[in-house]
Amino acid sequence: MSRIGVFICHCGENISRTVDVERVAREVGLLPGVSFSTDYKYMCSDPGQNLLKNAIQEQKLTHIVVAACSPRMHEKTFRKAVEAAGLNPFLCEMANIREHCSWVHENKEEATVKAVEIVGMMVERIKKNRVLPGITVPVTKRSLVIGGGIAGIQAALDIADCGHEVILVEREPSIGGHMAQLSETFPTLDCSQCIMTPKMVDVANHPKITLHTFSEIELVEGYIGNFQVTIKKKARSVDEDKCTGCGVCMTKCPQKKIPNKFDQNIGLRTAIYVPFPQAVPNTPVIDRANCTWFKTGKCGVCQKVCGPGAVDFEQEDRLIVEAVGAIVVATGFDLYTIDEKPKGSAIKGYGEFGHGKIPDVIDGMTFERLASASGPTGGKILRPSDGKEPKQIVFIQCIGSRAREKGISYCSKVCCMYTAKHTMLYHHKVHDGQAYVFFMDARTPGKSYDEFWRRSIEEEEAVYIRGMVSRLYQKGDKIVVMGSDIAVGVQVEIEADMVVLATAIQPQKGADTLAQKLGISYDKYHFYSEAHAKLRPVECATAGIYLAGACQGPKDIPETVSQASAAAAKVMTLFSKDQLEREPIVARVREAGCVGCLACKKVCAYGAIEEKEIRDRQGNLIKTVAYVNPGVCAGCGTCQATCPSKCVELDGYTDEQIVAMIEAL
Amino acid sequence: MIISQETMDVDFVRKVEALSDTSVRRCFQCGKCSAGCPMATFMEHPPNRVVRLLQLGQWRRIIEGRSIWYCASCETCSTRCPNKVHLASIMDALRKLSWDADGPSKESYVQLANKLFLQNIRTYGRQYEMRLAAVFNVKSGQFLKDLMLGPKLLAKGKLKMFHSKNKNLSEIEKIFSRIEEMRKNGKAL
Repeated sequence: MSRIGVFICHCGENISRTVDVERVAREVGLLPGVSFSTDYKYMCSDPGQNLLKNAIQEQKLTHIVVAACSPRMHEKTFRKAVEAAGLNPFLCEMANIREHCSWVHENKEEATVKAVEIVGMMVERIKKNRVLPGITVPVTKRSLVIGGGIAGIQAALDIADCGHEVILVEREPSIGGHMAQLSETFPTLDCSQCIMTPKMVDVANHPKITLHTFSEIELVEGYIGNFQVTIKKKARSVDEDKCTGCGVCMTKCPQKKIPNKFDQNIGLRTAIYVPFPQAVPNTPVIDRANCTWFKTGKCGVCQKVCGPGAVDFEQEDRLIVEAVGAIVVATGFDLYTIDEKPKGSAIKGYGEFGHGKIPDVIDGMTFERLASASGPTGGKILRPSDGKEPKQIVFIQCIGSRAREKGISYCSKVCCMYTAKHTMLYHHKVHDGQAYVFFMDARTPGKSYDEFWRRSIEEEEAVYIRGMVSRLYQKGDKIVVMGSDIAVGVQVEIEADMVVLATAIQPQKGADTLAQKLGISYDKYHFYSEAHAKLRPVECATAGIYLAGACQGPKDIPETVSQASAAAAKVMTLFSKDQLEREPIVARVREAGCVGCLACKKVCAYGAIEEKEIRDRQGNLIKTVAYVNPGVCAGCGTCQATCPSKCVELDGYTDEQIVAMIEAL
Repeated sequence: MIISQETMDVDFVRKVEALSDTSVRRCFQCGKCSAGCPMATFMEHPPNRVVRLLQLGQWRRIIEGRSIWYCASCETCSTRCPNKVHLASIMDALRKLSWDADGPSKESYVQLANKLFLQNIRTYGRQYEMRLAAVFNVKSGQFLKDLMLGPKLLAKGKLKMFHSKNKNLSEIEKIFSRIEEMRKNGKAL
């Protein structure tokens, strides 16, 4: 016989304003099985919890119902209190009479009746609650970091410095990501390479980090603490162990005019190449699409000149499998392209800006490469069309961003700041030039950010014009910019030598495919979703997978680095124990009734259901049934709703309990 | 409006900044000056737009208009500016510079009135209102302007028929010639 205790909370006035809590306590106290009921102003407070603990001891209660707010808010609090008083925590349930009752009703009489019914249902349900033992799963203390930009590098270094092995996977031939492309960084104008390359070298030299560049994630299986990841190492055509990075192959390669993606296609590279001189690892890759050997079967110069004999035309893609306990996703961003898009695509382009048609209309990243000392112009700002120095330069912000019509409604967050930086870099390099910026709002939240932006105007003499540009067109060797100044209320026309467009940040291409492999969710733009926007910003809803950097949403470098370190801290928290404890609200299969249709396996979003063979003592197969892996199951109940033979049940939410709740009404 | 390094007269703006001892570039167009200005409704360029036009070096648009002459120098804008832009001083500087630029508003004749006022001071050492009013009316072509006020003012003794000269007229002449000398040397604007 259960002795149920019911505790009703006033929640200050949140509940008691619309629900007569004393009457609820009185009426609920008369229900069969309830041996104690009371109310209190703040049940979650320390005295409130003590009231509950004392009642358990004094009244010898066996089950507890707390009628208060949502279980999302305080279920953990009360289960902890119940556990401290010596009961199994899963013998405590919450009846939500705040969100489901007092907050949504006005009539006190009716709300009180409803509250009594809500509590009554929970009383019937808890009578059938089982004592649930905690579930533990072993933890593999190695982690995988996907993406070798600043986020991936920071996360990998932090985890490795704590003594855990890290496998860092990067799609491109070198780590470094977008940050390696930047010339200087706001708000201090540090040279990006100077602060970035030491970290890249640290990654390469760290004994705990295994680096796989030019590699991609092929398959992810398993669950928190126990993932099996298949990594595809694409054929580099150069043996990483033999290559010394001398670079002779690159100087001798006859294919010298291939646009270099790292330099935004304004610089050129050879067919065997490293994307930039400071690349880590400093091992070249053969671009098979452009290599004479792979196109015609002749040439092979690089192989002939290579001293250590590292060039290997026969190399093939390789698959390697790694066991890891946690995954940090740091795949970063890609830039919006301005050019007109095919009809019907979700994201539209801008025809009116002539990008792609007018050679001197470039995007922000191309300007970074022009301004970079290691860029194709050696740091000189020169027009791509004729190599002249632009004397009038126009920057246009919010290209793609905040343009619902173009398919992107969000703010890309970094463009205001990088445009301010561009005006400064321009002013430092072209003293007699004038920079103009067309902007809608200047969004500069961040330490020393607004001061930086003001400096570009007050000291570096950039002219900011609030208002957008309607159209750009070529006139002789000038580009006519037609805009407006909404502060004056007039149309503005500028004949510019060069126009720089601050394009929006988008998720990396293929972000959705990777998310499907990992089993994590993403939004309509394909940015990865965090478990909770405010309180769990670095974790995915899928346990054991963490997010770092711009793959989650537009971020600047300091924010990216903070999040990467936060993700590393979360990984370390996971690795701090040998066994992982988790909530035992999981589904169980009644094997006797299961017909093995595996409809549950198809609907499980977490991949928690496996096939299990049942054999007799002689080893003959009797039947195949479904098996729920308790380490993976998230307790969502989809399988229970799907099972045609009613043989999957979620602990705490069994059909029997749900029926009991309905009958209590 | 075509904006280029040629159309942006940065030198003029620097003069305004020097004269008013405040920075025009500091303004980020929050509009607080215009929000509190008691005269803004009468101006074709409200105070914030005056600063904005200066930022773009488009001072002619300001000088040709009436805004600077409607400013009552109450300094509400300067007091409340979050960026410490002393707009009242900028207005003052613009009024001074508009003398040299010879571009007062053609509608308000403020500049003409100012010139006649100072001429009278130089000639008589004090103001001679009858002459000021008469010459102003003739030069501005509004012969009967405020004519009916004359008898009333005469009756109350506020308007004198004949002028009276200041005793120290030579001292006053010294002030005028010193300022003229300074302007020639570039020591005063």
